[in-house]
Amino acid sequence: MKTTKKEQENKIKSRSKKADDKQKIILEILKTHGAKIYDDLENGQFPKFSIPSRSVSNIVYDKQLRQYILGNNAALRSSRNSAQLRSFTQLMWLAFFANRLTTERKSSTLRDVYYSSQAFAVEFEDQSESDNIIVDLEAVTSRAREDFHIFPEERSSIFGDLNIEYTIPGYEGKTMNLANHPDGYSIGPSLTTAELVDTSAEIVIAIEKGGLFTRFVEEQVDKKFKSIIINTGGQAPRSTRTLLKRLHDEMKLPVICLTDGDVYGEHIAMVIKSGSANAAHLRELTVPDAKWVGVWATDIEKYKLPTIPMTESDIKRCYDLQKDPRYQDGIWKKELDVFLKLKRKAELEAFSKYGLTNITDKYLPQKLELAKSL
Amino acid sequence: MSSTKEKFNQISPSEFFYSNRDLAGFSNPTRSLYTAVREFVENALDACDQKGILPDVHLIIKAVEPEKPDPKPYILTVKDNGPGIDAEHIPLAFGTVLYGSKFGLKQARGMFGLGATMAILYGQITTNKPVIVKSSSDGKIQNQFEILLDIQKNKPVIVKHTTKEVSKTGLSVSICLEGDYSKAGNKIRDYVYETSLITPYASITFDDPKDQKFSHPRFVKEIPAPPTIIRPHPHGIDVERIRRMIVESQFEIPTIDDAMIEKVRKDLGLSVKKLNFTSIMEKAKKKWKTLPRQVRVVISLMSFLQMDFEKLIKIKIEDIDMPNKKLFYWDFGDSQLKSVDMDPESEYYKQLTNTIQGEPLTTFLTKRFQRVGPTTAVKFAEFAKFKPEKRMGTLTNQELVNLSDALQKFEDFMAPDSSCLAPLGAEPLEKGIKKFFNPAFVTVVQRPASAYSGFPFIIEMGIAYGGDIKSGGPHVYRYANRIPLLYDEGSDVVLKVVNDTDWGRYKVKGEPPFIIVSHICSTRIPYKTAGKENVADRQEIERELRLALQFLSRKLASFMSKRGQAEMAKKRANLYAKYIPMIAQFCTELAEKKKEPNYKKMLETEIASENKKAVEEENKIENN
Repeated sequence: MKTTKKEQENKIKSRSKKADDKQKIILEILKTHGAKIYDDLENGQFPKFSIPSRSVSNIVYDKQLRQYILGNNAALRSSRNSAQLRSFTQLMWLAFFANRLTTERKSSTLRDVYYSSQAFAVEFEDQSESDNIIVDLEAVTSRAREDFHIFPEERSSIFGDLNIEYTIPGYEGKTMNLANHPDGYSIGPSLTTAELVDTSAEIVIAIEKGGLFTRFVEEQVDKKFKSIIINTGGQAPRSTRTLLKRLHDEMKLPVICLTDGDVYGEHIAMVIKSGSANAAHLRELTVPDAKWVGVWATDIEKYKLPTIPMTESDIKRCYDLQKDPRYQDGIWKKELDVFLKLKRKAELEAFSKYGLTNITDKYLPQKLELAKSL
Repeated sequence: MSSTKEKFNQISPSEFFYSNRDLAGFSNPTRSLYTAVREFVENALDACDQKGILPDVHLIIKAVEPEKPDPKPYILTVKDNGPGIDAEHIPLAFGTVLYGSKFGLKQARGMFGLGATMAILYGQITTNKPVIVKSSSDGKIQNQFEILLDIQKNKPVIVKHTTKEVSKTGLSVSICLEGDYSKAGNKIRDYVYETSLITPYASITFDDPKDQKFSHPRFVKEIPAPPTIIRPHPHGIDVERIRRMIVESQFEIPTIDDAMIEKVRKDLGLSVKKLNFTSIMEKAKKKWKTLPRQVRVVISLMSFLQMDFEKLIKIKIEDIDMPNKKLFYWDFGDSQLKSVDMDPESEYYKQLTNTIQGEPLTTFLTKRFQRVGPTTAVKFAEFAKFKPEKRMGTLTNQELVNLSDALQKFEDFMAPDSSCLAPLGAEPLEKGIKKFFNPAFVTVVQRPASAYSGFPFIIEMGIAYGGDIKSGGPHVYRYANRIPLLYDEGSDVVLKVVNDTDWGRYKVKGEPPFIIVSHICSTRIPYKTAGKENVADRQEIERELRLALQFLSRKLASFMSKRGQAEMAKKRANLYAKYIPMIAQFCTELAEKKKEPNYKKMLETEIASENKKAVEEENKIENN
């Protein structure tokens, strides 16, 4: 018993040490950047730094990494340039603020950042301006905003047999099983930073819609198929993508995506797999092995699903994606072509035509079987 | 069956205008009051301009019964210090339509003085009150008339005529008319204000019905050079105008009676002496160049008749047949019709031809048009396929039309003479803009004279920026022949040119505090409507406007760029002062330092340098 307890304590210690280490790394990055600015000023010079260009021309697809990345173009930001001085100061403030957040292990939302600036007489016109500066900080440091304890408002949720251990202040060492609450657990800062302890699940199912997520919990998909169910709530937020990546990398779980049968659904799966152009400056957000299992365009006929016609913007989106290098082969290309041919789409709920549990009883098992061969 | 005979009555000009009064701007009480003000004020200014008098114009509008709601009768009075009008002309000038003194070809605000009579007519129609005219043309006696118009006969009816002693010349016209000041007031005040901008040498006051006084004293002491009356340009002419000119150039064979013979004797210096035929001819030859036309014609006839004065009294000229070179006369002595042959080679034959068949084409062109010399006239004749010596009196209708067409098409005439134009001048215009707007920047230009369809015109333009000018510009002040144009601005050529301009190119952005003053001077402004409020887009005028605006805009751009650089330097200094200390504060905590970096000296140097740059740029503007 004693030893077990000691082992437990050691385990906890090692985990919190891991969190401490990560914190140290982040603080070190911020300090390095701050010191450079400090030295410039001390030497009687206008401080400057370089930042990777995020212009369209500098966003390239990396086939090896299987995601969009930034090219080699970089811009010099100088505080001498009066057009850049304001945003320079804003970024300095943000680094300063992120430093305090990280040191104190406090989290903040994007909106919090916008308001917090006002206490320091740093003006942002609106939240989109402060959001932009946050992306600047990510680009300069090559770290996601979540590493600086800055989170978006959007929440998605998770359910399944997964034990986690919190690292946020006040909850250190506390554990939780994520199958304890049938509405699922919202994926916020505490869950994103928690240690993943263990799980009996063998697969992660990312599903686009909250309604289906509830159905899957009710139908005990977690038990029947030994799975962890994640509701992405449409396009998966970054924290959810980070968690998906960790489940895949740390717990060695395969990830499959189940979306509406339309071009937007297909792309939700693609973003989980290989990221978005918007986040080309970050590399910890993708699950290159993730698989999209449905609803495919070919499923529409195969399962005789009720459909609705595509809108103009659906069709335009199809043509746009046809130019994307990630849609040049495999099912990605094939399904996109079929969508364009059908000009119709089907939602996940369409299976309800054949009974509410049709999707979990019939469709899901077939797709899980199929996923093994993808 | 009753006979329905249609009646064709000639209507008088008064009746015509009575039934078409909206054409002249008298469509409703609001517009009419405004138009009446314009007509009288413009007449007063024109009268002073013509005599080179610095105008003092006093405008008074009074309600007859102030408590009544609009529209209601108003008394409109305009007084000036101009030359006045002779008593004998007053009834006709104010009591008939189409009686005017402005029928020459030169720049004036009004063309024929028609508008004033229209205003009087409108006043009489709406209130049945006479026009009161007080005029002194000698500075001693003032004639005061009360006149009504007999619309059907187009004749004045003098209700009352008195005189009194005064000490200076001037005219005062007072009418009673139905108007709506509550609606027209804004326009009238704008009109007076804008008129005083383009007439800086005039002093204009306005007492409005609400007992407010608007005073615009003169701030330029020199009156611009008055325009001269000139002959027409060949491009600006039509068939009817040529026909009238030919009539003016032809003369009838004078009747040879005792009085005429006496005149010939006197002009030859033979009042007492009696001379025979040969001696008379010799005498005439010596004096030929000094003789008047009538006398020359009589001498020419005598040369063919071979008669002295004694014989000449006893005959009567019946016909002069130029093509057959025969002269027919009735001899009272023999009671017979006789004829003599005329020698076509003789000088006298030429004299008679000139008189009867009019001038040769080339003479007609050089004498009666501007910008046509003998060489050009011959070249033109060749171009138009006329013989240079073609007699104007012998032109057929078709030939007249051909001539008119050719005059329009011939391109070798020099540009019209612009001495008939009276632009304000760049200097007074600039003074006016400065006084009215107190701008940070002003520049003006007067373009060289140009012409459209034979009518000369000059564009004057000024632009001003900043200072007391309200934002939301460019505000455009349009003038034509020193008249402000306030209505119907949408379709005006000046606004078209302004709106076509990409102001961003000239560093003018947003809703700038910015005005443009445009003045078109011409012997004929191509108005789009009879109301004289907007100028049509004639290609030549549009081009000149564009060139003027581009020239001014480039100067404005240079001002804006210097000012922009001064502002930028100031702004940079402010930004550095604000943000660099913040950066220092944030990076100190980030770098985990105790003390802020030593940046103050660098910041001070930089701010001082930017402020210096700002001062330098501002000095450049001052020196321009």
